[in-house]
Amino acid sequence: MNTFRIWDPLIRLFHWSLVAGFAANAVFTDPEHSLHEWVGYAVVALVAVRLAWGLVGTRYARFASFVPTPKAVTEQITDIATGRRSVHLGHTPLGALMIFNLLFVMLLIGLTGYMMTTNTYWGIEWVEDAHEMLVTWAEISIVLHIAAVLWESWRTGVNLPRAMVSGVKTVPVDAKLVE
Amino acid sequence: MIQTNRTDRPAMLIALILAQIVCAGFFVWDVVLDSGDVRNVWPIDPHFGIEAVAVIGLIAAVVFETRYLLHLLAHKARLERKVSVAASAFADVIEDHFHTWGLTRSELDIAWFTVKGFSIAEVARLRGSAEGTVKSHLNAIYRKAGVTSRGELLSLLIEDLMGETQDPSDMSAVSGTQAGLSTGHGRDAASQG
Repeated sequence: MNTFRIWDPLIRLFHWSLVAGFAANAVFTDPEHSLHEWVGYAVVALVAVRLAWGLVGTRYARFASFVPTPKAVTEQITDIATGRRSVHLGHTPLGALMIFNLLFVMLLIGLTGYMMTTNTYWGIEWVEDAHEMLVTWAEISIVLHIAAVLWESWRTGVNLPRAMVSGVKTVPVDAKLVE
Repeated sequence: MIQTNRTDRPAMLIALILAQIVCAGFFVWDVVLDSGDVRNVWPIDPHFGIEAVAVIGLIAAVVFETRYLLHLLAHKARLERKVSVAASAFADVIEDHFHTWGLTRSELDIAWFTVKGFSIAEVARLRGSAEGTVKSHLNAIYRKAGVTSRGELLSLLIEDLMGETQDPSDMSAVSGTQAGLSTGHGRDAASQG
């Protein structure tokens, strides 16, 4: 087993804060209550920090290190299809697609949520529909994300949930490493 | 260009699958929303039933396409591996010949360059030697291989690619008439069976 320090503290803090923030607003807080709004703003702020960190952050935090090009995505699916066990030290291409999807949808949820607090859009039906639809999409994405993380952990032999807590990936010695 | 073509087709399929997942997500949301009100639910409203079936169809299509994609990529990877195995096997065959002919180190070098299609001038430049030197090495290679030209040298190597089972009697059949060709093969197959 080889160990690699991959996720910096800010990445991990961001990930689990986002989990807490989204879960709180999707399940627990009252949408009519101001707490819902404040948690929403906090989630948008978190995403903003993450976007900035993606430009100036540590190596594996940078967007440049996980651009999901069609070629990279195809290669990862080929790995899955052929049972090749190659381990990406940073985010995988498919994982990157999910990250950009989630970051984007979080911002849109925040935007439509904010619109409902303005005089112009308050009570407008399509804004409310869009807000709820985006939340459903985020929930579907999160289910897929968790399923994919568990599947990739099983497939590659790297415990990914633990890496997102400790920041360290423990990789089997016989695995082929991909940057 | 071939390279981009080969990678683009799966990429299109991947893009299509992703788009369909987004659509499926939208309709799942719609169905869940409709099911909240009992008046919308089948059998009271057939619209709901049709919508639910469409969603299931869409999800089934995504699953089917994903499986097809995995199959396609596995097949592609298998073919690529075969090609690389064949390429290295061909290189082995050539290497084998060179070894049998007892080529010296520089002759070996020049033989490889020649097989790869470099002209005498190019080989001389690549090796930093005079064209005359390359020519004399080349002549030594031809002499050891028992050929008189680059074309013959290549034919000799390519012959192996087409199957080493062709014996001289079979070759004589090929050089004969059309009728002789077919009977020659028939005889060959009969004698082998």
